[in-house]
Amino acid sequence: MATLTVTQNFGKGARDLEVYRSLGGYGSISSRLFDLSQFELIDLVSRSGLRGRGGAGFPTGMKWSFVPRNSGKPVYLVVNADEGEPGTFKDHVLMQEDPHRLIEGMIVCGWALGVRTAYIYVRGEFLPAIETLNAALKQAYAAGLLGKNIGGSGYSLDIYVHRGAGAYICGEETALINSLEGFKGQPRLKPPFPAVSGAFASPTCVNNVETLMALPWILEHGPEAYQALGTPKSGGTKVFSVSGDVKRPGVYEVPMGTPLMELLESPELCQGIVGELKGVIPGGSSSPVLTAEEARKANLDYEALAALKTMLGSGAVVAFNTERSAVGMLTSLTRFYAHESCGQCTPCREGTGYADRIMKTIASGKGREGDLDHMLDLAANFSYTTICPLAIADAWPIENFIGKFRPEFEAEVAKNPDRGSPRVTKDFRPGAFW
Amino acid sequence: MSNSYNKPVLPKADSKKVSIVVDGADVEVPEGTNLVEALKTIGIDTPHFCYHQDLPVAGNCRQCMVETDGPRGMGLAIACYTPVRPGMKVATDRSSEKVKTARKAVMEFLLANHPLDCPICDKAGECTLQDNYMSSGKHESRMREEIGKQYKGAPEHRHLDAKGQDRGGKHIDLGPTVILDQERCILCDRCTRFMRDVAGDEQLYIAARGDHAFITTFPGQPLQHDYDLNVTDICPVGALTGKHFRFQQRVWLLSKTETIAPDDSLGANITVEHHDGHVWRIMPRRHPDVNKSWISNATRLLYQTLSENRLTGGSFRGADVPLADAVERARELVHGARKVALVASGHLTLEDNAALLALAESLGSRAEVFGGSWLAVGAPDGIARSGDPVANRLGCTLLGISDNLSDLVRRAKEFDCLVVAGHDLWAADAERAKSLSVIPERIALSAWHDATAQASTLAVGIRAWAEVRGSMINVQGRIQRLQAAPTAPTPDLEPAWQVISRLGHLGWTSEVDAFRFAQGRIPALSGLNYRTIGSQGRILEGVAP
Repeated sequence: MATLTVTQNFGKGARDLEVYRSLGGYGSISSRLFDLSQFELIDLVSRSGLRGRGGAGFPTGMKWSFVPRNSGKPVYLVVNADEGEPGTFKDHVLMQEDPHRLIEGMIVCGWALGVRTAYIYVRGEFLPAIETLNAALKQAYAAGLLGKNIGGSGYSLDIYVHRGAGAYICGEETALINSLEGFKGQPRLKPPFPAVSGAFASPTCVNNVETLMALPWILEHGPEAYQALGTPKSGGTKVFSVSGDVKRPGVYEVPMGTPLMELLESPELCQGIVGELKGVIPGGSSSPVLTAEEARKANLDYEALAALKTMLGSGAVVAFNTERSAVGMLTSLTRFYAHESCGQCTPCREGTGYADRIMKTIASGKGREGDLDHMLDLAANFSYTTICPLAIADAWPIENFIGKFRPEFEAEVAKNPDRGSPRVTKDFRPGAFW
Repeated sequence: MSNSYNKPVLPKADSKKVSIVVDGADVEVPEGTNLVEALKTIGIDTPHFCYHQDLPVAGNCRQCMVETDGPRGMGLAIACYTPVRPGMKVATDRSSEKVKTARKAVMEFLLANHPLDCPICDKAGECTLQDNYMSSGKHESRMREEIGKQYKGAPEHRHLDAKGQDRGGKHIDLGPTVILDQERCILCDRCTRFMRDVAGDEQLYIAARGDHAFITTFPGQPLQHDYDLNVTDICPVGALTGKHFRFQQRVWLLSKTETIAPDDSLGANITVEHHDGHVWRIMPRRHPDVNKSWISNATRLLYQTLSENRLTGGSFRGADVPLADAVERARELVHGARKVALVASGHLTLEDNAALLALAESLGSRAEVFGGSWLAVGAPDGIARSGDPVANRLGCTLLGISDNLSDLVRRAKEFDCLVVAGHDLWAADAERAKSLSVIPERIALSAWHDATAQASTLAVGIRAWAEVRGSMINVQGRIQRLQAAPTAPTPDLEPAWQVISRLGHLGWTSEVDAFRFAQGRIPALSGLNYRTIGSQGRILEGVAP
């Protein structure tokens, strides 16, 4: 069994403080943490190779180093627990199984950045997780692990749980901050970045649940040990939410660089594919899909997946077999992104809906020749022209599903007997008049 | 939203210049401004919808894309939110295919769900969507019926049209002044930013999200604000229209006359828009230091009074007389009187008041000039009104006219002739004005059949503010010009200064004569003429209170 850094307490009842402590929990709330200066701690996290586990994979130590220390404003820590990407469910399980590890991680991060107030922004639908977190916070406060003068160190931290209202876009950090402040969850123009001016116009660090939960292990075992678990560039382990046509879907933690097929087929992990593998979405619904052939070559780390022109994302692996229709899957995805576009930027607002309606037209047997190229053109046009990457998250599946499973889409269009009809039946252009 | 409150930095006359490279050419532009403004200074227009000089930058329409150089090479960026950096490289649609494609794509996206009902839309002709289609779109639509449009609209306003199509909200009554068409809306967020940031009363908001988002008011609440009609100006499409102008006139028929608002001492800059001798609307004219881009609803609706209840001739003891006869009779009365009281008016131009002073001068000791107003003075609203309804109060003061109407009331018996020019004393305070009725001959020069005209023994019609050339000095000490729109109800009507010139045999032939007289009384005006005052006015040194 590989070393676990985040999920080692699963199934042990660690949501209770005493159990968590008996398993070595809150070990870092001691001189191990408080003897370190802020700079030493940030350096330690940098050396561990820990990268943001929310999707973008930004080096955590570097992110922390961007937060100014003497701005005269409070520094906020916001935990992004608005896990909304289709296929992702690891944060939900992590918070349910081991809430105290998150709190411990937050204290570590809080110490590094001089945070006095921290928020956990939890997706609105995660009601059980919110209840678990609140119960854990209550226990931690009662034990003097939160509030004023934590463990006699002189450091004080307050943590609040904030329940989101159910929008995928609130997983984008500036939309999350707007929502936290009570505004509509729409991404902000950048710069300024949250590290400089985030929540309440103050320096803000937004980190994913899993990122923070890795910190206690790193502090206990040292950054080099953590780095050594993964590949040279992608250190540590990663928690994957595996779903789809596998025999045992679930949440699995494996070292970075593990072959994708090992995750899917290992008897200790997913135990194999149901049916014959057709493709894998490796990092959440927005990440470019891999064909079965590509999936067999893929390793689960940032660089290896980038080389296959896809990404590790939030670690949501969706495997599907040959019985699944690519048209059906893409129709679901375009509907999701059209529904979740916040409506701020024109290309995303109008484009995702437009692409979705074309997709529905194709799926209902009314597609025409040229529709697929029209889709690809729209996807190219709404990529990289908006405030946040939601439009790209729609464009990648469109480009890759159509690109890699094109014969299926063409077969769908071919079902329409009128597929070759001209676009307009009546010539109603001004030229017809003068 | 704390970060979205980024007001654009606009170029000033004294802005420091830096050099940047635009489409391969070295150019000098003002430092610190955004690229939309910087490119404008060198004659490049950047199409946009959501950006507005006087609103915080939202950056959501994505139409103003340019390419700029960054750490990863040239890349797309929105011009409205990219500040000028010395030495930066910028590529516009003139040199970059990528920019052209991006702008064209935005046009295609916007028009995909737009109802395209230009033939029945009031904004047609001054619609940013039309303009930008011509400058950046010009694509052929790829939309077809099976794909269908997503018409925008609140659930309660959705309806099936005659063809059985699911449509959005049309002609929704938002309040006393504004009608909303949710289908036409392109969600640029300008109106909500105006209400939040300028009006300070967030009555509009964007509900729902994605392409089914729509503009609306809060449930059961109207859009009702003294400035709410400004949202119809800044709306780049025909989504928000004013009830007063809906279906009145096609905008391409309208001629524009630049003038200033006569109902407030801030002198908001406006454009009077007329066609066929009739004023159809008043629009704000941008002045960065006076009214920005805004005018109050009261100012905007002033044009309605220009065609109502006008005094187009003369009236002597209740009987209508031809205008020329009325002027002649007024001249006789003034010259035959023992003692004449002349009431100046801050509602009239400097030129009109100068004429009154010249008339007094010509009558010598037989005439006395009174000034001031009985109208209540309010507080500035911080947008486009100072609260003082007497537009040219400072001008009158500088001409040496004192605030002494109460003296006139007290000493009314001393006079046997009263001349009131463009000043509705009887409407302002009928009680006090009544004591002026002891003066046997009361001559009113008025553009309207107002209370003063009715209380007078002789009323002489004059042109109204929109029909005269002249100048006023606003509360900031800024002299601003009024221009004449060719909309006087009859061509015989003359401006007040001209009628007064006839009464006093002054022999003035144009406003310039009157302005020269005013220059003699106000040293700060020396060296100025109408051309140097210009369309943006001039601050007079050391006159502001």
